[in-house]
Amino acid sequence: MQRLPIARRTRPGGLAVAGALLTVLAMFFGVSGASAQVPSAPSNVEGKTFTIGTDTTFAPFEFRDSSGELVGIDMDIIRAVAKSQGFTVQIKSLGFAAALQALSSKQVDGVIAAMSITDERKKVYDFSDPYFDSGVQMAVAKDNTDIKGYADLKGKTVTAKTGSEGESFAQSIAGRYGFTVKPLDQSATMYELVKSGNAAAVFDDYPVLAYGVSQNNGLKTVTKKEAGGSYGFAVNKGQNAELMAAFNTGLAELKDNGQYQAILDKYLKSPQDTVSADSSFWALLVSSMPALLKGLQNTVVVTLISFAFAMLLGLFFGFLKVSHNIVSRGVATTFVNIFRGTPLLVQAFFFYFGLPQIIGQPVNIWVAGVLTLSLNSAAYVTEIVRGGIQSVDPGQLEASRSLGLGYGTSMRRVVVPQAFKIMTPALINQLVILLKDSSLLLAIGFAELLYQGQQIYSNNFRISETLLIVAAMYFIVIMILTKLSNIVDKRFNK
Amino acid sequence: MSEQAHPARPGENSGSTDPGSKISVRGLKKSFGTNEVLKGIDVEVADGEVVCVIGPSGSGKSTFLRCLNKLEDITAGSVLVGGIDLTEPKVDLNKVRQQIGMVFQHFNLFPHMTVLENITLAPVELKKQTKEQARQSGMDLLKRVGLEEKADARPASLSGGQKQRVAIARALAMNPGIMLFDEATSALDPEMVGEVLQVIRDLAAVGMTMVVVTHEMGFAREVADRVIFMADGVICEQGSPEEIFSHAQQSRLQDFLAKVL
Ligand SMILES: Nc1ncnc2c1ncn2[C@@H]1O[C@H](COP(=O)(O)OP(=O)(O)OP(=O)(O)O)[C@@H](O)[C@H]1O
Ligand SMILES: [Mg+2]
Repeated sequence: MQRLPIARRTRPGGLAVAGALLTVLAMFFGVSGASAQVPSAPSNVEGKTFTIGTDTTFAPFEFRDSSGELVGIDMDIIRAVAKSQGFTVQIKSLGFAAALQALSSKQVDGVIAAMSITDERKKVYDFSDPYFDSGVQMAVAKDNTDIKGYADLKGKTVTAKTGSEGESFAQSIAGRYGFTVKPLDQSATMYELVKSGNAAAVFDDYPVLAYGVSQNNGLKTVTKKEAGGSYGFAVNKGQNAELMAAFNTGLAELKDNGQYQAILDKYLKSPQDTVSADSSFWALLVSSMPALLKGLQNTVVVTLISFAFAMLLGLFFGFLKVSHNIVSRGVATTFVNIFRGTPLLVQAFFFYFGLPQIIGQPVNIWVAGVLTLSLNSAAYVTEIVRGGIQSVDPGQLEASRSLGLGYGTSMRRVVVPQAFKIMTPALINQLVILLKDSSLLLAIGFAELLYQGQQIYSNNFRISETLLIVAAMYFIVIMILTKLSNIVDKRFNK
Repeated sequence: MSEQAHPARPGENSGSTDPGSKISVRGLKKSFGTNEVLKGIDVEVADGEVVCVIGPSGSGKSTFLRCLNKLEDITAGSVLVGGIDLTEPKVDLNKVRQQIGMVFQHFNLFPHMTVLENITLAPVELKKQTKEQARQSGMDLLKRVGLEEKADARPASLSGGQKQRVAIARALAMNPGIMLFDEATSALDPEMVGEVLQVIRDLAAVGMTMVVVTHEMGFAREVADRVIFMADGVICEQGSPEEIFSHAQQSRLQDFLAKVL
């Protein structure tokens, strides 16, 4: 919900920018962005597997329950449709904009992400029949008994998300009912404002509000929803026609047999068991730990693998940097400049969304993550290695060479061991930075620790407590890592 | 050994090479950028000869010495060691350097290795000896410089004089035919100079060919077969210790000696 859910459904601007960026990158690498796609012959979908992209967290449409399972209206519908039509789906939880980028780069076959059907989007995508009718609704604090309708808002202040349908609806009736609208960027802030009494009401998307209320977020609805846009399942225009046909057939079946209504009720009516009676910090800690530990494991594994590659690459380029050959030095300097001179996030997006367009096939998220972190970190390790080698007294190399030992042997036996001793603190520091930077991979939907934390707090609304737990876990792991590194350092550099 | 035939003074025999020469330097020039540090050096060092190089600071003594094992690139001229021209592009420098031991003013011991490892590194890496043989001959070398009990110590725990004796043992490990010393005692406390000079003296006694850059005039007088006085990148004067120290010809040498003696 902290991803501006409404804005994303009404304004395709972000996608256009991302698409343009990818096109520019593709041109930069001398490759046409328009890769030839073999049109899949419309045939039966039975037995096939489709990869479906979705948002990371947009309750109640897609989010992770306390066991870490991806659930929600979108998830239940696509899975139910798949089951009834006899195909299997592989869900990729990427983030809204990222899912659409993945669709463009053919990393996924379709996207279901509470996306409203707009004329502009229809130019790029084929949409299914609408599977959800959204709309704007008003909510007030749970214990508020004064406000029963728009008329009670006279002279008061309400809030809504900046640029959203909720805001435009609120503005449209503000004059008639005599209230003022204070737009905010964050859902959590809006709700806090209402609960604290600083705003009388909030205008937000009906499903979001309904789900929040069902989760005891401290609000209640007192008016009916205002009719609004409809959500659809999307594929690239002119592609995957058989998948689209199957979705529509399946959806119609679900509506007929009542499964569809059951799914909606599950998320929008009945209170969820996730917010159980026990709302203590301890209960949160226990219930969130499995998912967080899974995330922590991914964080540590991706960090260690990336660091190993970063060391190898950094040593290689570091040696090039101190070599006497001007071409080698130029190669190493270029490498460092590219990966130190561009943001990590751009690199992550490039490897995950851009690279597939260039090579014409999907890139595994682990590969993209490790590529990003190891190349970025290798640029810094290169400089550490260069500095380390150059800080070793040149007399050491001379003494070794004067004995008749070659350059390679002299470096290996004499210079590098001493350089390592000098470099160790900086390398440990780099490892810690790498581990912290790995949290940025959540932007491409890599299920690391912070990503898992986001999934949890967008589900239970306990942002500060969840983030504290996540921060504590990072802190503990970094402490352990630092201690271990220091022990290793003492062992080898005694 | 003191009855060696001394090669002629600079300029006098630029043509032929004494076949007995271990080192033969002709027309050696060395520039750092535009700064010409060696301006044409001609010198022959015979087998078993001990040549001491003296001269004021900045005159190019170290640079000259470092050209003899090509730690410095040579700008012009030639340097022949054991008949091999180091300025030839194809020459295997590592092979040649195994024939030349070098001792530095600041020892340049490898601090991450024990004393014995410092000595055995080259023989083992270059597959001249097995680990066991290298250890054995390393211990022999340490005995020779009087430091066998320090075999497993780290260089950091040694005194300056001990460090330099280890450095000499290390330089001897490849069994070189030539030893180069660049102010081996200049960084030492005065009470430690003697022990290092004694080791060099012992080497002279067994007939090692040596080029010794030194500020120890007494030592040069005692050990050298020939003394070379360098100034401003040229050999200004050379001769037997007697000739140099007692019958200096040129005023520059006389001035220099007046300052240091
Ligand atoms: N690597 C270098 N780059 C530039 N100039 C150098 C370099 N090494 C030496 N020189 C210069 O060459 C000249 C001769 O230096 P060198 O060290 O050979 O003198 P030296 O006779 O050994 O002096 P000292 O008695 O002080 O050791 C000096 O002017 C010095 O500044
Ligand atoms: Mg010098």
